[in-house]
Amino acid sequence: MKDKLQKISDYEWLLPKGVRDRMKVDAKIFANQKIIDAAEDAAVQQLTNVACLPGVLEPVIGLPDMHWGYGLPMGAVGAFDAEEGIISSGLCGFDINCGINLIRTNLTVEEVKAKIKELIPTLFKNVPSGVGAKGPLKLTREELDRVLVEGIDWAIEKGYATKEDKEHTEEKGRMDDADPSKVSDLAKKRGIPQLGTLGAGNHFLEIQEISDIFDEETAKKWGLHGEGSVVIMLHSGSRGFGHQVASDYLKIQEKAVKKYNIWLPDKQLACAPVNSEEGRDYFSAMKCAVNYAFVNRAVMTKWIRDSFEQVFKKDWESMDMKTVYGIAHNIVKLEEHKIGGKGRKVYVHRKGATRSFPETPVLIAGSMGTASYLLKGTETAMEKTFGSSAHGAGRVMSRATAIKKFWGETVREDLEKQGIIAKSTHPKVLSEEAPQAYKDVEAVIETVHQTGISLKVARMKPMGVVKG
Amino acid sequence: MERFKFIEDLTSDVMIEAYGKTLKEVFENAAFGMFSVICQIDKIRPEKEVEIEVRADNIEELMIAWLQELIAEVDINYMFFSKFDVMEISDTYLKARVFGEEADPKKGGTLVKAVTYYKYKFEKTEKGYKVRVSFDI
Repeated sequence: MKDKLQKISDYEWLLPKGVRDRMKVDAKIFANQKIIDAAEDAAVQQLTNVACLPGVLEPVIGLPDMHWGYGLPMGAVGAFDAEEGIISSGLCGFDINCGINLIRTNLTVEEVKAKIKELIPTLFKNVPSGVGAKGPLKLTREELDRVLVEGIDWAIEKGYATKEDKEHTEEKGRMDDADPSKVSDLAKKRGIPQLGTLGAGNHFLEIQEISDIFDEETAKKWGLHGEGSVVIMLHSGSRGFGHQVASDYLKIQEKAVKKYNIWLPDKQLACAPVNSEEGRDYFSAMKCAVNYAFVNRAVMTKWIRDSFEQVFKKDWESMDMKTVYGIAHNIVKLEEHKIGGKGRKVYVHRKGATRSFPETPVLIAGSMGTASYLLKGTETAMEKTFGSSAHGAGRVMSRATAIKKFWGETVREDLEKQGIIAKSTHPKVLSEEAPQAYKDVEAVIETVHQTGISLKVARMKPMGVVKG
Repeated sequence: MERFKFIEDLTSDVMIEAYGKTLKEVFENAAFGMFSVICQIDKIRPEKEVEIEVRADNIEELMIAWLQELIAEVDINYMFFSKFDVMEISDTYLKARVFGEEADPKKGGTLVKAVTYYKYKFEKTEKGYKVRVSFDI
């Protein structure tokens, strides 16, 4: 399928709808030559599959961090008409509201470096991580339902988050009309013990140094303390709760495909018409998982603040540890977009994609040991990508291959040579997330910046990493 | 007979193929394969027992439901499992006892988020049964 790509510019590639049967709209990939050369044919094929679905809107989008995913690649956007379209559990992904929070500090690199060997183990202790990790919160069923409905408002009431945290979170930390009665018993059972846990795999907590500021005015507006100051990046999602909601609805929507007689080019694209019971129920259940993840990151933010207080013997307010912004990068949203000059309601599926609305923060995480970026959303993104940008570096190697190829201990030593302290529950985690298993984040950033779908504000480089 | 093996697949993160002379065996071996990903299975002592019951529309779905249920157990009861005993099985129902110990992240492996339908195949072979299944990690 890659041979069918037509170059529009140095950073944009077109897959016109004629490249295969039953494609209703074009697909478009945002990438530079280097990324296109390395792109998997299977991922490109997946974009054309999505372009066949009912009510799909032009174009289906591949972002520069695109890599093969279940049904739709990670690093892609599929938008559907709010009347004629579909909504899909597979297109959203298993880790609903996987996302990133960025917390600023007024501490300098030198201040943090002096304490980093104490700070990383303290964070590792206070923020539970890894497969099978226990969260210290003891929720009741009723309390969980409140988390699912109220999102970050629950965390504010319990003293985990502040009103300011809420203001600086996508959807203000709470999606309305979340309905716990649409969530299975099994999902709730999985959700109760895991609230306030980081998880494993690519999830992490990183201490970073602001190495470059590209847009002084915006950086100031968002409260950053300039080059050489320290920020914290938290990457986590809705844990087993969200995985179960996604799995449950994959099954329900697979049946819906037969019931509503939807033609699918790939079984993984199970979906349901947006206005069907199966479609509406999924949206209500997904919102529960979205709210769960907002609370999960809010609770961990509190523990990060506590950890800094313990190590630096100052209160977190005096270190100005405020949330710069919290974003979601696996989510379905009902938004209004201009199509053919007219406003239209659209179900936007962002899978490994970040919202990029004008002047709002966009966070793109690098792989372990490489830089991450804070950017701002643009009008161009509204015109070209349904208000979306990339989410990370994007894998170039499967986890299984990475484990075979790299020794966790060597990865840790390599990072330490670069001055980065890494701590994980066991070495295998470090090997599957080895920096070499990912694309070069700089190429991803160059693409989003040059195409204008988001603009660079600051670059952050890692000083210390906590992984599951 | 080999219990299971990892299959190289360019795109899937982890794919296994499990075998069994009987239905009971192929279900037990698929679970064993999956927990070889989730934890360091050779370090898990079969000291605690959990009973599992699953129902589904057919045998293909029953396998998926069984593995899903076991993934959920890791979260719900903080357990890693290393021994699986399927006591009753039909095309639509399974009852099993599974054995393991309390999950300790130090003995953890790779977080399995979900069982997927990617290249999923459950088949009867000359020697018994074979299932190919991949996991979202």
